[in-house]
Amino acid sequence: MAYLGKKLITLIMTLFLVSAAAFLAFQIIPGDVVTSILGTEATPEREEQLREELGFNDPPVMRYLHWVGGLLRGDLGTSYRYSKNMNERMPVSELIGDKLPVTLWLAALSTVLIIVISLPLGVLWAKSRSHAVDAALGVVTQTAMAVPSFFLGILVTYCFGVVLKLFTPGKYVSYRQSFSGFLGYLIFPALSIAIPKIAMTARFLRNSMLTELGADYVRTACGKGCSQRRVMYGHVLRNALMPVVTFLGMIISEIVAGSIVIEQVFGLPGIGRLLISSISNRDFPVVEILILYITSAVILVYFLVDILYRVIDPRISEK
Amino acid sequence: MIRIENLSVAFDGPEVVKNVSLEIGDGEILGVVGESGCGKSVTALTLMGLSPRTARVTSGRILYDDVTLLEAGKPRDEALYRRYQGARMSMVFQEPMTSLNPTQRVGRQVEETLRLHTKLTSQERKEKVLETFRAVGLKGEEIVYRSYPHQLSGGMRQRVMIAMAVILHPGLLVADEPTTALDVTVQNQIISLLGEINKKQKNAMLFITHDLNLARRLCSRVAVMKDGRIVETGETEQIFEHPVQEYTRQLIQAVPSRLKERKREKGPRENGRGYAAPVVKVQDLSVYYQEGSNSLFGRKKRRCVVKGADFELYAGESLGLVGESGCGKTTLSRAVLGMIRDIDGSVVHNTLRPQMIFQDPYGSLNPAKTVGWLLQEPLRARGAIDASLALSKEEMEEAAYDMLRRVGLEACYFHRRPSQLSGGQRQRISIAQALITNPGFIVADEPVSALDVTVQAQIMELLRNFQQEMKLACLFISHDINVVYKMCDRIMVMKDGRIIESGDTQEIFASPREEYTRQLLIGS
Amino acid sequence: MPAHVTKKRNKYLTAGLIMTGTAVLLGILAFFWTPWSTTAMSASERFAAPSFRHLFGTDNFGRDIFSRVMKGMGTSVMISALVVLLSASVGIFLGALTGYFGGVLDEIVMRVTDAVNGFPSILLALVVISVLGTGRQNLILSLGIVFSPSYIRIVRSEYLRLRDADYIKRARLMGVGKGRILFVHILPNILPVFWVSVMIGLNNAILAESGMSYLGIGVQPPDASLGNMLSDAQGYLQTAPWYALAPGLAIVWIVLGFSLFSEGIRRLGE
Repeated sequence: MAYLGKKLITLIMTLFLVSAAAFLAFQIIPGDVVTSILGTEATPEREEQLREELGFNDPPVMRYLHWVGGLLRGDLGTSYRYSKNMNERMPVSELIGDKLPVTLWLAALSTVLIIVISLPLGVLWAKSRSHAVDAALGVVTQTAMAVPSFFLGILVTYCFGVVLKLFTPGKYVSYRQSFSGFLGYLIFPALSIAIPKIAMTARFLRNSMLTELGADYVRTACGKGCSQRRVMYGHVLRNALMPVVTFLGMIISEIVAGSIVIEQVFGLPGIGRLLISSISNRDFPVVEILILYITSAVILVYFLVDILYRVIDPRISEK
Repeated sequence: MIRIENLSVAFDGPEVVKNVSLEIGDGEILGVVGESGCGKSVTALTLMGLSPRTARVTSGRILYDDVTLLEAGKPRDEALYRRYQGARMSMVFQEPMTSLNPTQRVGRQVEETLRLHTKLTSQERKEKVLETFRAVGLKGEEIVYRSYPHQLSGGMRQRVMIAMAVILHPGLLVADEPTTALDVTVQNQIISLLGEINKKQKNAMLFITHDLNLARRLCSRVAVMKDGRIVETGETEQIFEHPVQEYTRQLIQAVPSRLKERKREKGPRENGRGYAAPVVKVQDLSVYYQEGSNSLFGRKKRRCVVKGADFELYAGESLGLVGESGCGKTTLSRAVLGMIRDIDGSVVHNTLRPQMIFQDPYGSLNPAKTVGWLLQEPLRARGAIDASLALSKEEMEEAAYDMLRRVGLEACYFHRRPSQLSGGQRQRISIAQALITNPGFIVADEPVSALDVTVQAQIMELLRNFQQEMKLACLFISHDINVVYKMCDRIMVMKDGRIIESGDTQEIFASPREEYTRQLLIGS
Repeated sequence: MPAHVTKKRNKYLTAGLIMTGTAVLLGILAFFWTPWSTTAMSASERFAAPSFRHLFGTDNFGRDIFSRVMKGMGTSVMISALVVLLSASVGIFLGALTGYFGGVLDEIVMRVTDAVNGFPSILLALVVISVLGTGRQNLILSLGIVFSPSYIRIVRSEYLRLRDADYIKRARLMGVGKGRILFVHILPNILPVFWVSVMIGLNNAILAESGMSYLGIGVQPPDASLGNMLSDAQGYLQTAPWYALAPGLAIVWIVLGFSLFSEGIRRLGE
């Protein structure tokens, strides 16, 4: 428990640091945001007014504290670019609101696909005695790992969308309209994210199992009269899964990155696309919040993996 | 009754077990001794049906009470073996830590044997496991039952392994180097436990070891193996007292044993150490370790590992430092060499750069370099520090070739890399590298423990010769009391960070003052 | 490499060498000569299917796709090589110092690399790019920053492991200088691990570069890069699927080549 508390404190500190880094980084960017918002033909008075309005005349630290204060009250700030109406700029929270579920569902679906497919595949691969199966899986996974997710997305679009016509590329179905239609569309981008990761995880698990099969305790188990099956599932699997848990944590945090690109390929209105467009628009309040969101998600995944690891490995949990 | 008849086993290449025949009667302990790679473990694993798939039985058969378990030319009958393994035959391995599943409670691992071979209820199974734990001398059996392997000491783990092996009173018990990974005092206990079990359960026991002293203590009969063949078999005393074969004789000769008369020149202490100043003088030395978290915030604890050590070491003298693992002997030696700075007390030595010889011949030579480079590096380093001692390229090369010859290796080894040498050859290079600058004082930390007995004898001989030639002061660390007996003029016994007894080798062996020293002596 | 090791047949190494070899050679060649101009447009030859005249066909502006793929491979490989050179140099230097000496510098560097490493690399590169602005140098710099921590970690852990090796202890006892221990005694022993990580790094750099170019924040048009070609081609999947296939398969070819090559090297080391 003391460990958990310590870990939580580190977690909060990391978030704090990342928020500071994300915020302050954008303060040193060359180029005046005001000019880029108003264009070069605005009057100096108008520029000064906007500068005052956005708080640019305060020192960065003050503005950071102001910003964090707002965050803690649930105020995420307002976008530079988007307006709600003529006199009011768009709050970031509203901008993100309906985009977040899309990305979350995409990540969740990819994670499920990866776990459900890669783990049995890895075990079967490790068990296979046939040289042909072994070699074939080796070639297939090696190739799958070399395909970048956006190209895979394009291939999936071509195969399932253009040729097989299982879905219409670009015709995104909102989860507000029809949830099943939403998932039906989402399965293809999820697959594009998952396939290379499935290959990696299956390979990793297989190698881990083969390593464990050579361990001394396997010989002990055989010496007791355990069947091959019992040795595999009763002894080897749990030990082999332990490094895989850490590996999966890494993979899942990579899914976040994968989804940024894949949303672009499939035209999904998620936070990844918003991030890209905000970066090119220099809409920093949005970028800052998105970075904070994504970082929190990644940190949370690592935290959960850490806890899970402690649950399944008795050697660590009791230290 | 176990019979192995004309067994030959081959992996991909040539046979590693050749035409081996053995017989073990009920209640009998048969020792198989030999150096590493002689085929003794392969024989045992084949007998147990645990040899890897790549192993092929090319001739012979194995009989268990007239049931043929294995026969050349037929595939191994896995189903038959599974009925026998754990119930009628079982095995204890060398490494108790890795031989237990790290993520399963040991109680469950032992219980699995019962689950596989009996129809007992879970309550009965647990009772039986606890009862067996008590029988093998595990105290607090309920706690042990719930423990994971990493929570137990090495000795306890080996007892758990033994409990697992004997819980169903198997007719055959194979023990493959069961005490090699353990400390001497624990080793004694495990050996007596195995003897007791054998008396009680009357099983046929196959005891595999490289340690001839152990075989002599435990076994009624002994078979000597070399290069896959049985060289000689017979009653234990017969073999040890009147070996017939030349190899057996060599093997017994090579074993450092107190039972044999030690050829010993007069030590430097006897011939006038009175005038010479000590090379090393250690006064009231305590050594500390920092432990605990190494993060910025964590607080560190300062632990005292060596407490108040006092000794002197003279030129040409060899001082033995014995004790079990974790007693602080390596730490003490590091502190004497100045490798640990956190000390109280004083260490004074009048040599320039004392050197060290390590246990592991594989780790002590830089694998990326050639032998020639390695031998010249100390000279280069010396030249870089003190320009007056710098040698020319030719001189260094000549010195390296000269040293190579003196450690008994041919000139052609000059361009080889460590990976192309055997363990004994590497240890020779290590010695050459340590002595090429004539350091005056060396620390040898278990320099022969990782070597086979015959190689061990050669390396000890080599060290001894160098010591006399160079008037070298040597601090000799070992857990093996017999090696120390052979090598050292004086001995210090260490326990829990303190030197509890020290004195002349002969005296300590003849009349140890401390109980602990006596126990160490029994162990050998 | 010692001669006696290479004699053993190593299919991974051969296949990897052939694949990376062709990619790198074609890429370098592209800086001097391509079959067609990479920028010349031709209204009459829009969306020509692959033929002997245009090996991979032509794109929406009638430009020769094969030539542009060649140029794109050259650009990708060059950028990745510079990224790896930058990050690996930083990695060796900082990794050696922190791993061998430890202390406060180690603490700081480790905290920073921990934070960076836990982060999806493309996201971090995006942030750096958005701070620095787009452009080729900035792309190299940002990816260099993103990839440095993994090299620091790898090199550091190797130095940490070897710092206490018996042969290094002995070198210290001999009085060998610190710089010599770091770079003459230890460095050759980490090279096998290091080369494998360089190969993996090249792979990741190529994937990251093409990903960023695909998103429009890497190599900017009209310069040809595999990523921005794919991004253009996506709109014409119905009419000209070969347009997307050519740059995509080129990326797969390079990445697969490098990973087979690194696997080959790893097996050589064993």
